[in-house]
Amino acid sequence: MEIAWTALALSLKVAAWATALNLLLGIATGYLLARTRFPGRELLDALLTLPMVMPPTVLGYYLLVLLGRRGTLGVWLQEHFGINLIFTWQGAVIAATIVAFPLVFKPARAAFEAVDGQLEQAARVLGIAEVAIFFRVTLPLAWRGILAGVLLGFVRALGEFGATLMVAGSIPGKTQTLSVAVYEAVQAGQDDTANTLVLITSAVCIVVLLAAGKLAPGRIVHK
Amino acid sequence: MQLDLDIHATLRSGKRRFDLQVQCTSGSQRIALYGPSGAGKSMTLKAIAGLFTPDAGHIRLNGRTLFDAAAGINLAPQQRNVAYLFQDYALFPHLTVRQNVGFGLARGWFNPRAREKLAKVEHWLGAFGLQELAHQYPDELSGGQRQRVALARALVAEPAALLLDEPFAALDPALRVSMRLELSQWQEQLGVPMIVITHDPEDARILGDHVLYLRDGRIDQQQATLHEVNIG
Amino acid sequence: MRLTSAARLLGAALLITAATSAMAGEVVVSAAASLTNAFKDAAQSYEAQYPGSKVSLNFAASGVLLQQIVKGAPVDVFASADQETMDTAQKQGLVLPAERHDFVSNSLVLIVPSDSKLAIKNLNDLTQKNVTRVAIANPASVPVGRYAEGALKKANLWDGVQAKAIGTQNVRQSLDYVARGEVDAGFVYGTDAAIMKDKVKVVYEVPLEAPVLYPIATIKGSANALEAKRFVSYLQTAQAQAILAKYGFKKP
Repeated sequence: MEIAWTALALSLKVAAWATALNLLLGIATGYLLARTRFPGRELLDALLTLPMVMPPTVLGYYLLVLLGRRGTLGVWLQEHFGINLIFTWQGAVIAATIVAFPLVFKPARAAFEAVDGQLEQAARVLGIAEVAIFFRVTLPLAWRGILAGVLLGFVRALGEFGATLMVAGSIPGKTQTLSVAVYEAVQAGQDDTANTLVLITSAVCIVVLLAAGKLAPGRIVHK
Repeated sequence: MQLDLDIHATLRSGKRRFDLQVQCTSGSQRIALYGPSGAGKSMTLKAIAGLFTPDAGHIRLNGRTLFDAAAGINLAPQQRNVAYLFQDYALFPHLTVRQNVGFGLARGWFNPRAREKLAKVEHWLGAFGLQELAHQYPDELSGGQRQRVALARALVAEPAALLLDEPFAALDPALRVSMRLELSQWQEQLGVPMIVITHDPEDARILGDHVLYLRDGRIDQQQATLHEVNIG
Repeated sequence: MRLTSAARLLGAALLITAATSAMAGEVVVSAAASLTNAFKDAAQSYEAQYPGSKVSLNFAASGVLLQQIVKGAPVDVFASADQETMDTAQKQGLVLPAERHDFVSNSLVLIVPSDSKLAIKNLNDLTQKNVTRVAIANPASVPVGRYAEGALKKANLWDGVQAKAIGTQNVRQSLDYVARGEVDAGFVYGTDAAIMKDKVKVVYEVPLEAPVLYPIATIKGSANALEAKRFVSYLQTAQAQAILAKYGFKKP
């Protein structure tokens, strides 16, 4: 099933990029909202969580309007970088990133909040710089919670459909991800292809969930 | 140690308001801040460490200005060269005893390696009898052991002063008595200036040459003059 | 024991709800996406003509509609945009030959955004370098995509144009992409282009070997056979024909 492996490879590529982006963005925003206080902080949290509750097609529509040839951002990108994200795998990455972002950011924020601030204070008094404190104290204590979110974000990105369909279209080899391929196979009555694709997707999800289970908190064993 | 402290701070929480106004000049090597809970002792200690910023005033330690609101000086905790011992020790749970003690010596983005043995660290581990426990994690230790690790960690950095926040609050009474004596002896041996805050009068008596009485954010001057003792 | 009776109760409730809605003279019509506007108007007119009747419309690409029926969707009338889809339905025993007939014809057109600066006047122009994206609905499930593929293959242009093809789920999505300027050109029906006259312009009417004829049929064994027949007959009336003509559909 040529189409199946191409779709799988593409889905993994898009999901991997989206997750990498969300790892950086999620940690940054999670840390910011956990450790700083400013008016409107919770409002910002709510806004950042919006993609999780918004219907993916609505999100896809917003992205299409924004990044399209006549969209504000689309025009800007075209003029300054000569790129158009619609119908590209990079566009699919953007859609997947946005859709999965809350799943990474919220657990990250919770994980950072769970780190005892006093430990960071202790490190400060011991003379360690702020950035070093983040990498040596905060992150090591928060990483399990963050990772749980990252894995959730990964499977969400892997299964992204609605927004992707609008923004990236369905170009075999370029933007036809697993979910889209299944959709089209069913539409065309190609049940065999659909079944294969569904089995592959399910297998991948199970593998990821098993990996997530291994990393669950409570498994830390002190030597 | 030369401590010159004069700080003001107002804290508001809903309808409640707390005013802190503490002044103190002392040349003593062992200062005790004594008073009931909520008197402002912790706040004062944190101000010296740089973990709390008062609204006005100044803090000078051994001639070095750590904080001066008027002059716009407020050194970060990293720059104050004091050691702070938290009530529950704040040991890093993901690091071994050895790594905890050596934490302040590693200045980069990486923690000291678990198997790495530095001379200074080994010295302090030995001084507090922690060699056997060096490879263990904080959650495997008893309260008394944890306190010693926290002390070792603090002293490795050779601080200008050691600030202790209710050092024995987490220990049972019997242990309290012996640890108090131990601390007193260590302090004399090592000669590190020490400021202890406590609500236990015995702590104040044994660990404080200069005792400051705090009540409702202010120093009770009368009590101070009554109990000031100079030990040669 | 408790669970079974609760399940029975639930099942009964669902059946009653379903039965009552069916009994209200409702007919479920699955129609090709290009018929959206015309059938909406026709359905309104039909309901006005026969008070108490209800037409439930379901629009999508013909191939999608077929799959729904194959998998047991309760459809009474099926109108597809090409013979092939209806042939498949017939082969699978879903419609009876006697109940099937062609009711309108359409044209295949090549459209571009109304503000397009590119010189596209025929199929060949699609191979130009500055034409980078062409909306063609997925031939596997959408008739208009098949018509386009057929025409391009006949002109020996399929390979060159396919590389630039943006596959869409139905003809309306192709239309939307052209209207937004996301693609340089697209294949839609003449009737679709007419709906977005201000945003797209027709540059070429694609000649086809076989004309675009839309068949309509009642589904075998549907729950509302009488209503279904009545709706199909209604489409033959002068009133309905006028509506279809208004949108650009021609007589078969």
